[in-house]
Amino acid sequence: MDSLKMELPHSVKRYDFHPIQRILYSQDLLKISPFLRRFIKYPLCIVQPENDEEVISILEMSRRLKIPIVPRGAATSAYGGATTLKNCIVVDFTRMNRFELKDGSVVAESGVVWLDLEKELNKAGYALRVYPTSAPASTVGGWIAQGGYGIGSLKYGDIKKNIEWIEVADFDGVKRVKGEDLKYYVGLFGTTGLVLRACLKLRENRKLSNYAVKCSFEEALDLTDGAYHASYMNKSLGNMIGCGDADVLLLTFEEPPSDLSYFDEVLGSKIWDNRFNLLKAARNADIIFTEAILPYESASEFYSKMANFAVKVIFTTDCVVFLGVLPLRGYYRTVMKAVKFIKVAEKYGGRVYSTGMLFPHKNIVGGEIKEYKKAVDPENLLNPGKAVQGNVISRLIRLAEMVP
Amino acid sequence: MNIREVAAKCSKCGYCNVCPTYRIEGWESVSPRGKMQIALAFLNGDIKIDAKTVKDIFKCSVCGLCEEVCPVDLPLISFWEELRYELTKRGYAPLSVHKKLKEITYRHFNPYSGEQEKRDEWVDFEIKPAKTLYFAGCTASFKLQNLAKATANALSKLGIEFTVAGRNEYCCGSPFLRTGQRDIFEKLFEKNFRYWEKAGIERIITSCPGCYRTLSLDYPKIAEEKGYEFNIEVVHTVSILEREGKFEKIEKVKGTYHDPCHLGRHMGMYDEPRNVIRKLGIDFVEMERVREHSLCCGAGGGLRSQFKEISFEIGRQRVLEAMETGAEYLITCCPFCEYHLSKSAEKLGNKIKVVDLVEIAEKLISL
Repeated sequence: MDSLKMELPHSVKRYDFHPIQRILYSQDLLKISPFLRRFIKYPLCIVQPENDEEVISILEMSRRLKIPIVPRGAATSAYGGATTLKNCIVVDFTRMNRFELKDGSVVAESGVVWLDLEKELNKAGYALRVYPTSAPASTVGGWIAQGGYGIGSLKYGDIKKNIEWIEVADFDGVKRVKGEDLKYYVGLFGTTGLVLRACLKLRENRKLSNYAVKCSFEEALDLTDGAYHASYMNKSLGNMIGCGDADVLLLTFEEPPSDLSYFDEVLGSKIWDNRFNLLKAARNADIIFTEAILPYESASEFYSKMANFAVKVIFTTDCVVFLGVLPLRGYYRTVMKAVKFIKVAEKYGGRVYSTGMLFPHKNIVGGEIKEYKKAVDPENLLNPGKAVQGNVISRLIRLAEMVP
Repeated sequence: MNIREVAAKCSKCGYCNVCPTYRIEGWESVSPRGKMQIALAFLNGDIKIDAKTVKDIFKCSVCGLCEEVCPVDLPLISFWEELRYELTKRGYAPLSVHKKLKEITYRHFNPYSGEQEKRDEWVDFEIKPAKTLYFAGCTASFKLQNLAKATANALSKLGIEFTVAGRNEYCCGSPFLRTGQRDIFEKLFEKNFRYWEKAGIERIITSCPGCYRTLSLDYPKIAEEKGYEFNIEVVHTVSILEREGKFEKIEKVKGTYHDPCHLGRHMGMYDEPRNVIRKLGIDFVEMERVREHSLCCGAGGGLRSQFKEISFEIGRQRVLEAMETGAEYLITCCPFCEYHLSKSAEKLGNKIKVVDLVEIAEKLISL
């Protein structure tokens, strides 16, 4: 730490070694039990780079002093991607938050908050094609690092499909990545490089129309055609977040359909307005989330098996994302339920939604990517113990998964 | 309120990072989410805090925007006040300037060092006894006397019989309640309440949202704690203007409105001032962040007194937002907002004039 204290002030403007700050930056949205907390190590310091040069300096220092780096956006992921497992430098990207609109796309730095970006784009007649359901807080770099689906994914797919290119920094400098090569960075939690900025595809800012339909899950599957966004919420979750007391499908259109006779526009607008507010479910009881991705073919069967869970479903171009909300009734008991949710999904051809700190053992990441990681980060300094390699907590989860 | 329980319910979603102070400072220790985590660990005895951390906790105008956006519906305004009180009880607070203001107020009964004998200096009419009291508040009494005069004129024009307490009016205590200094708040409550009881006051009108919130929400609570009966109706001038005012119209004046936090988020009064502005014929244009999502002026919660740079940066942002509308007037309903935004506008070359709605409305009341 002494070397860092000596060196950081020469290359980075904003940094902090304060012990309280180090505690705060060791955690993210993930709930960790007091027992598991013993495996969390506080970072040595936090840096908030304001430009590429500062990020490069930090990487150089990391390599020379052999101190790991944990990149951080708004820390709104529940997969522990920003949780610190080693004494490290936390690189908080929230001060790299400029963006520029250019030729129908936008180049946004890593720390730009999605909803802020959307509001500014709307003023210029544009809109994001996709954005996460945590958009009021989460950052561009954060979502890219986690990967996944969000609002608009029914029409436009996951975040990866909506990136023209990204610029990443690693120990060799800054590189621009696009097309197929995005797979080496999107969803890898910064284990192969730090996302500096992204050029994002946009859509024209057309007024969206929202409709709700009270229907069964099977019926919902047949109603999503032509929509920009579609999500389904069962009665249990609706009750928890104050959005009705029936199983309900939200359909959002860029062009409203001609036959609206069986659609409820008022309820549709209400659910749309609450699209970021899933955490309302935590008003009356502490909760944890569990998520799984299912192919369309088996989504219905999985849904019927999960009838006891409070569930939200997001329909996408190529799969169905299930999010289970579990009231916390005994930490380990609830975690076991969350694990069961994923195990059942796997039985139906599904998989865990993301990796982060919790599920690197799920082998979502292929061998090719693991090889790439070794090549760009031979000393394993970039977010160690995440996405491409196990850690003590993921090993415990693995054990839990073995419980019948 | 059990602040430990509230802190434990924080989901760490980070939606509260809209906090104007966090947006400037940028560190988790200044974000509402971070402060909740600090509070929880501190109250659990897991961490020790130092002067820097206490300062970070106080970097907050208690504007309530965090409470507005919190999906878990945590009562954050009360939480910050309780946390500050807890820190004071444990000897970590008050901060230096807040403490100094308390000492000044112990001597002068206002935080501006104004002489108590001169509290009614603005009064240019004969004070008669009445059951309705106009409570001018410290800022209007000592800093913005035109507002006090305008309010009194407006009430007279509307035919409302009222009195003023003059040198028997004391600071309502809001700055101290917000900064965790309940001892002096209780003393100020006692002094004001005793006088009102003696004078037979049944209704209090105030044009200061800080006083309005304190008198209508906090005084009844403390009265109950002390076993007093608090049967006084408290109203803000703007609701009287909305209800009873008939106005001549002004033309070709473009104005925008700044929601004071204590009137808006704290008390839920958003429509009344807008209705009055429309009644006046002002070409009204809204800023980007309004009503529940309004940006604070930056002055409240002891932020201006203790952390001037942050406070003026927020003020600058708000004035710039008002200027973007193209309005000539930035209208508000709070002397403290007016005072702070005027100073902020001054730093930006006075390109927009900051005024209190009562001052405009008073001149246009139809007799």
